[in-house]
Amino acid sequence: MAAKVISGKEVAAEIRKELTVQVAELKEKGIVPGLGVVLVGEDPASVSYVTSKAKGCQEIGMFEETVKLAKDTAEEDVLKVIDRMNHDPKISGILVQLPLPAHISVEKVIGFISPEKDVDGFHPVNLGKLLRGEECPLPCTPHGVKQLLVRSGNDPAGKHVVICGRSNIVGKPLAAILMQKAAGANAVVTVVHTGAKDIKHYTLQADILVAAMGIPHAITADMVKEGTVVVDVGVNRVPDDTKKSGFRLAGDVDYEPIAEKASFITPVPGGVGPMTVTMLLYNTVEAAIRLNQA
Amino acid sequence: MPAKLIKGDKVAAHLYEEMAAELKDIYEDTGLMPGLAVIIVGEDPASLSYVTNIEKRSKQLGFDVVVHRLTVDVSEGDLLQLIDELNYNDDVHGIMVQLPLPEHINPHVVQETVDPEKDVDGAHPINMGKLFSDEKGYIPSTVHSVMQMIEFTRQPLYGKKAVLIGRSNIVGKPLSLLMLRRNASLTICHSYTEDLPEICREADVLIAATGKPGFVKEDWVKPGAIVIDVGVSQVDGKLVGDVDFAAVKNTAGWISPVPGGVGPITITMLKWSTLEAFKKSIAAG
Repeated sequence: MAAKVISGKEVAAEIRKELTVQVAELKEKGIVPGLGVVLVGEDPASVSYVTSKAKGCQEIGMFEETVKLAKDTAEEDVLKVIDRMNHDPKISGILVQLPLPAHISVEKVIGFISPEKDVDGFHPVNLGKLLRGEECPLPCTPHGVKQLLVRSGNDPAGKHVVICGRSNIVGKPLAAILMQKAAGANAVVTVVHTGAKDIKHYTLQADILVAAMGIPHAITADMVKEGTVVVDVGVNRVPDDTKKSGFRLAGDVDYEPIAEKASFITPVPGGVGPMTVTMLLYNTVEAAIRLNQA
Repeated sequence: MPAKLIKGDKVAAHLYEEMAAELKDIYEDTGLMPGLAVIIVGEDPASLSYVTNIEKRSKQLGFDVVVHRLTVDVSEGDLLQLIDELNYNDDVHGIMVQLPLPEHINPHVVQETVDPEKDVDGAHPINMGKLFSDEKGYIPSTVHSVMQMIEFTRQPLYGKKAVLIGRSNIVGKPLSLLMLRRNASLTICHSYTEDLPEICREADVLIAATGKPGFVKEDWVKPGAIVIDVGVSQVDGKLVGDVDFAAVKNTAGWISPVPGGVGPITITMLKWSTLEAFKKSIAAG
């Protein structure tokens, strides 16, 4: 049996369409959601992310402001920009593009963002709320994984979800999201990492398998049981001479043979990737609504 | 072979000695004592007995502990006002609000009002959030004591399989993040999970925190496993845990009893965190 492909592009487009309608309705009430982006330095991957975020905002009719700072900008000056955005009524969400140069403390910068405007969901207050199951912006990538599951008809409720990888940005928050007694969650969650003796033993138990280790093709077909829903969060560059760039993108999952066994599978690229920016837009619209209620 | 017992008092003994020595030194140098404020609303018997225990044990060790006993009809505003005063009181280094609170009071608002620097029971979301990274914050005392018990067995957690039954905000959820920090593989489930016995049988470390007396049966436990019982229920006037202790002790490698297991260390860990806050405040001048 060949798996159904869960297209992140399609799900992302669907959510963006909903957001476009929502933004238009909010504008009629005089509320314009706005995203403030802070970029320090000129890391090419970061520049490209920031550009796609800005484009996404424009597409759905949101206000957007990107502040680009030189890579030797003092921490204090980065904080000043955030402080200004914290108080700017045009800005409902603030995103500081990571990584930051080594002389700037990520902890300090993230902690300085007003939690109401922390649309990346990594302010400790918001992570704490997430853990307690309260309303808060969910970190974008795990939020995207949840949306892909729910919108493809694979509600995690009562299912055994096995997450491979326990990073601070994917594995841990995703586990925290799916263990909640809440709609679109309520799963039995297992988290394994590369230090586990026998990862296969765990992955074979999964109804839903999420690969987020950052190791190309770490999940092979013998590790997946028939009918599993497979979500691949990994985005790895592997050398490829046939490409002009010299590399291609590969997921953590050995796609072709696993697609023969899985019931659903997300591709790389075009799976979880397109969801991340979309959930950032989603969080910004939600933040605008919450700020207006307050 | 019957399991080795993980007794709370034994686990806490060296921490107790360490704290007593440190307190003595600081007192001789500065004349200062760590201040712990405990707030209890209403007269829930289990809560009252816990709080009285905290009071007694903290005083014994040289803490300046004040218990604020509020009537069950106290308004949320008055409670928040009290917390605010304690936040600004330099003699108070730790604040702990005993749960449950009466229904007319929102526990989340209360927990968020406590200054995170004085939140020695790790209930403020900012301290919960820090569990996701390696940032240092305050850890809920019960969770902290479970980790101490596991450490007491001297069994490495790296690569081991842990199973947590129960996903409460004060135990299961925060504990799951700490287990991951310690490099265990982890399954978190709850009392209604299908195939629960099967999942539990895989556990090298099994932690029960459901509040259902005698819930975990002997054939759910892998021979030699570490079994930590966080549950405390009253049955026929007696305190019992979530684990069918009499049977499971024949299979487990280590087991914590109820009473006398997690409970006594929890109070020690609350004091431990208060001492940390006290030392920070002295260092800050």
